Amino acid sequence: MIPLSWYLILSAALFSIGLFGVLARRNAIAILLGIELMLNAVNINLVSFWRYGDVTQMAGQVFAIIVFAVAAAEVAVGLALIISVYRTRKTVVADELDLMKW
Amino acid sequence: MDFINDHLLSLILFLPALTALVIFFLPKDEVKLIRWTALIGSLFPLALSLLLWTRFNLNGFGFQFQEQYKWYEALHSTLHLGVDGLSLTMVLLTTLLTPLAILASFGITDRVKAYMMLFLFLEVGMLGVFLALDLLIFFVFWEVGLVPMYFLINQWGSANRNYASLKFMIYTMGGSLGLLLAIQMLGVSFGTYDLPRLYELWPAASSLSNIPAWLPIETIKTIAFWAFVVAFAVKVPVWPFHTWLPDAHTEAPTAGSMILAGVLLKLGAYGFLRLVLPLYPEQAQAFAGALAFLAAAAIIFGAFGSYGQTDFKRLVAYSSVNHMGFVVLGIAAAAAAYGSSNEVWKASYPIALNGAILQMFNHGLSAAGMFFLVGVIYERTHTRNLNDFGGLFPLVPVYGGILIFTSMASLGLPGLNGFVSEFLVVRGSWPILTLYTAISMVGLLFTGAYILKGIKQVLHGPMNEHWAHGEHKLTEINAREILVMTPLMALILWIGVWPVWILDVINRAVLASF
Amino acid sequence: MATETLIWLLPLPPVLAFFLIVLFTNKNKALSHTIGVGAAALSWLGSMVVFSRALGVEHLGERPFTSSIPWLPTGETWLRIGVLIDPLGAAVLFFVAWTIFMIFLYSVGYHNFGQPEGDHDRPGLQPHGATVTDEHGHRHVVPSVEPMYSRFFAFLGLFAFGMYTLVVSDNLLTLFVGWEIMGLCSYLLIGFWYGKESARNAAVKAFMTTRIGDVFMLLGIAFLYSATGTLTFREIFTEEVLHALATTTTPILGLSAVGLIALLLFIGTVGKSAQWPLHVWLPDAMEGPTPVSAMIHAATMVSAGVYAVIRMFPLLTADFDGHTLTTAMSVVAFIGAFTALFAATIAVAQNDIKRVLAYSTISQLGYMIAALGIGAYVAAAFHLITHAFFKALLFLGSGSVIHGMEHGVLHTGNHHVDPQDMFNMGGLRKKMPITFWTFLVGGFALSGFPLITAGFWSKDEILADAFGHGHLAVFVTLAVAAFLTAFYTMRQITLTFLGEPRTKEAEHAQETPWTMTVPLIVLSVFAVTYGWVGIPEHFPLFGGILPNWFHNFVGSTLAEEPEALPFNLIPLMTSLVVALGGLLLGWLAYRNVKTPAEDKLQIPLLKNKWYFDEAYDFLFIKPSYWFAETFVYKWMDKGVIDGILHAFGHATAFLGTWIRNYIDKAIINELIGDGSARLTQWFGGRLRPIQTGRIQQYMLASLGVLIVIGGLMFSLLVK
Repeated sequence: MIPLSWYLILSAALFSIGLFGVLARRNAIAILLGIELMLNAVNINLVSFWRYGDVTQMAGQVFAIIVFAVAAAEVAVGLALIISVYRTRKTVVADELDLMKW
Repeated sequence: MDFINDHLLSLILFLPALTALVIFFLPKDEVKLIRWTALIGSLFPLALSLLLWTRFNLNGFGFQFQEQYKWYEALHSTLHLGVDGLSLTMVLLTTLLTPLAILASFGITDRVKAYMMLFLFLEVGMLGVFLALDLLIFFVFWEVGLVPMYFLINQWGSANRNYASLKFMIYTMGGSLGLLLAIQMLGVSFGTYDLPRLYELWPAASSLSNIPAWLPIETIKTIAFWAFVVAFAVKVPVWPFHTWLPDAHTEAPTAGSMILAGVLLKLGAYGFLRLVLPLYPEQAQAFAGALAFLAAAAIIFGAFGSYGQTDFKRLVAYSSVNHMGFVVLGIAAAAAAYGSSNEVWKASYPIALNGAILQMFNHGLSAAGMFFLVGVIYERTHTRNLNDFGGLFPLVPVYGGILIFTSMASLGLPGLNGFVSEFLVVRGSWPILTLYTAISMVGLLFTGAYILKGIKQVLHGPMNEHWAHGEHKLTEINAREILVMTPLMALILWIGVWPVWILDVINRAVLASF
Repeated sequence: MATETLIWLLPLPPVLAFFLIVLFTNKNKALSHTIGVGAAALSWLGSMVVFSRALGVEHLGERPFTSSIPWLPTGETWLRIGVLIDPLGAAVLFFVAWTIFMIFLYSVGYHNFGQPEGDHDRPGLQPHGATVTDEHGHRHVVPSVEPMYSRFFAFLGLFAFGMYTLVVSDNLLTLFVGWEIMGLCSYLLIGFWYGKESARNAAVKAFMTTRIGDVFMLLGIAFLYSATGTLTFREIFTEEVLHALATTTTPILGLSAVGLIALLLFIGTVGKSAQWPLHVWLPDAMEGPTPVSAMIHAATMVSAGVYAVIRMFPLLTADFDGHTLTTAMSVVAFIGAFTALFAATIAVAQNDIKRVLAYSTISQLGYMIAALGIGAYVAAAFHLITHAFFKALLFLGSGSVIHGMEHGVLHTGNHHVDPQDMFNMGGLRKKMPITFWTFLVGGFALSGFPLITAGFWSKDEILADAFGHGHLAVFVTLAVAAFLTAFYTMRQITLTFLGEPRTKEAEHAQETPWTMTVPLIVLSVFAVTYGWVGIPEHFPLFGGILPNWFHNFVGSTLAEEPEALPFNLIPLMTSLVVALGGLLLGWLAYRNVKTPAEDKLQIPLLKNKWYFDEAYDFLFIKPSYWFAETFVYKWMDKGVIDGILHAFGHATAFLGTWIRNYIDKAIINELIGDGSARLTQWFGGRLRPIQTGRIQQYMLASLGVLIVIGGLMFSLLVK
């Protein structure tokens, strides 16, 4: 059986890639993609801990499913926002969306 | 009848307020209706206090017709009412003067509704002070009387009314601050504000419970004594606290001056008699000399101040200082004689107190009359300057006769009321405060001087043609005005000739309480 | 009716008349004077009944008519007031009733009752006369009726009430009541013609001057009352009470209590009886109508002063051993004697017919006071009564003269002629014979014309007493004053009645109506005969023909009846010489004098009354006015006391402003309120740059923070 650490390493790598994407990319869509990556990294973590822990406890799986639902909703809202921003500002570059700056 | 008998005092006390309430619901343009409602409404307390007078048990001991209602339980203060001979005379004076003052103000045309309501509230305040047997209630009514008077002066007064009303208000309130504090101290320390209880507890108290005190009890008592004295001295007024009085009197509307001189000043003297002497006999004795000095100063400087005036109303106002000085002199004599074993002193101080209390009543009659008469002539001529008058006697002989009569009462002519009380005060004070009594005679002498000056400048002398013809023609005193003066003059003469009916009541009260 | 009840009722009719006239009948002159005179007549009648009953009682001095009622409750006791008629009271009542009645009657004529209303008379001024047209179409100016006729009778009624009250009182309090009521009436009556500036000033002067005495008297009453516990004469004048008072000492001048009380009461008399130094009001009181002068000077007020001292005689002499005068008595004697002489010197230089009489009154009252000061009780009372009769007579006579002169003034129409100036008169004996003869009787009585006049007997008795008890200074002073009295009286008679008329007005003077002359005649009868009831028993020739009733009767008032003096020739000769000499000299000096310029005695000092009015004005009146107006009102009340008050006001306002400026505004507003806001703002400004608006920077920062916190937690929790 594959040791737990492998999953965790995968998950951490995936999370880091997602985080890098969120922080480094200028494109809003790419940022959104990064967030998805991070969420899925969490899912991997949750599921693997469930599998290697007490299997009778369903919490890990339940959390993973909730995260799916939330991620789906988030993507829907996020994409809608980005599209809406694009329609008014003709751009999806995060640096140019600086209305909140002083 | 039982209801009336059991609630006589609260009826007397609150009926004016009820009348004021009725007036509140009257349309404000129905001036006549308002006037008559106020007058008739104020006659009820008079009728009831006459009933009170007849039902009062002369031989009874202590306070009669007592009523006690819950009021402020957390503070142990109750609405406790009661009369003895002292308050009885003052209640009669108040209920008598108020209808007369209202009748005298029938000439008022400006905001009659508010005016009459204020007047009736004023009566409640004054009666409350005389009837209260609870220190807190006493204080409440003491202040209640102040407010309507302030507005009466401030709204219906003459030229300098703002200054005068403010001076009156602040002076009196300033004086009573210490009183409030001292009352609180008494109340907290004994858990009651009930006067008959405090009479027993306070003078005998050798320590204060409930109050952390680091001063010796004697010092505290002395301080509280002076707090009381200053409050009452301002109101009397005792020299040198008197300068609010000429201003307030001069600026107040005629009826306001009548009540101010007739009753409000008595509140101060009443406070001395009801609170200071019984609660602080030892302190009063210790400071009787100072009090007598101030009284003599009031008598003398009041007379001189009056003599130096060219304003008729101010002249009369100063005469109040002079006359109330005799009240204080009598009180000082009684204070000095407390606990004395000297036979002459023991026989003399009730005489002095009789005189002082009777003088309060008498001054109420004659001062109210004098102010009214000044008002009568002011209404017609719109001047109070004595130099503008002169030789008016042929124009207004009836007015002149009434003025001379009332002036003579004020001067203390034997046969009229002022003499009886002044004689009693002088007689009672002589053995106790010989020097001050003798000095006061200077004031008595100048009482004559200022009264005669007034008569001389107004009535006598070559006729002033200005008032004899045309639009300035002076009209004779009218029937309503004579009606105001009639009860006053009748009482002045009655007390002067046969004072027993009132003096007996006073005498018994004095013997019982002092 | 019981005599006591009657005595109670004596003062009532006049006061009822007063109220009736004032309240109801003021408009109706005839009804008013009927009520007034009727009331006076009733009281007179009652007094005569009381007097005659008093004569019938044996030992009236020990068992007088008296009754009292409780009046004032005074602690455990009552002050009782009541009436008392003892011999002194009866004698005084007699002359009071007569003179008052006569004065009432006289007033009817004096105020021209029955004459038409004046053309331009107005209340408060003397009537100026009315023009009437007779049946031939001639226009005459005749005297007009007094506009305030009714009021005059009302005032007189009140005055009479005061005097009756005073006389019948059995105690000092009601005596004082009557005393003061008379003071008021004298004020009202002197100022009766209040339209005149001089009259209104004189009225105030009279009231105030007597009031000075009155306040001392009030003190005396208070002292006496507290020392004895009673004000009733008969309770005070007992052996024990007087002894107790006499042995009590007071800190003032080393006087005994009784001496001090007597002096305090005496000061009241000094004011009321116009003794030096309070004499100044009386001559000015001449501004009143003449019946008033008579009321004040003769019948009532000034007599009341002397009467009070006579009443208080036991007090005055309580510590008197019979030889050396006590301090109090010396003071009384000195003031009396000095006044007698001093006023007489002024009288010789006066030209106003009434003023001469005024000063003569002061002088005569001085006689009585001096007599009391040396202990001559009966003589003083005697002179009081005779003087009342002849002085009332003289005043009414002078009023009659003035009235006659006014008639002449109206006739000629020259209103610049003063009808009271004696130098405008002369020769009136032919025009006004009744007035002349009665005036002559009065004048001779005043001068003490020997043997027939009452004045001689009473004055002689005073002189004899002074001499007999060895008070030579008093004796000499009084004798000189008596000489001057005779002199100025004769001067007055000569100038007024003798010789030839000096003016047209005097030529046209007319005798006055019967209402005025009848009182003159009645009084002149008394001015002669009353002397005969008091002729000393040992007097040569006349003594013993008539019993010395007065001495026995009035003397019995005192507990120890005074003994009659042995006869001595020196005082008798003295009084003969001064009276006759004075009269003769007066006649010789003035029979040919035509104008004031020829009068040698118009000395400024005397003419101006020794400048007492001016001195008092300078010393007392002006300073007291200054004291009242400037010192008390302007400086003390307005300046100091109100200044302090206003200073409080200003101080409070200053404190308020200061607190507002330096605490509220500076500390609370600036420092705490605005300061905290500014601090926040400053911080905000500093922190603003990190608000880049770049979401990724925020997230980077969050990551950093997360790592830091995570690291911290890791290092802290995982040990």
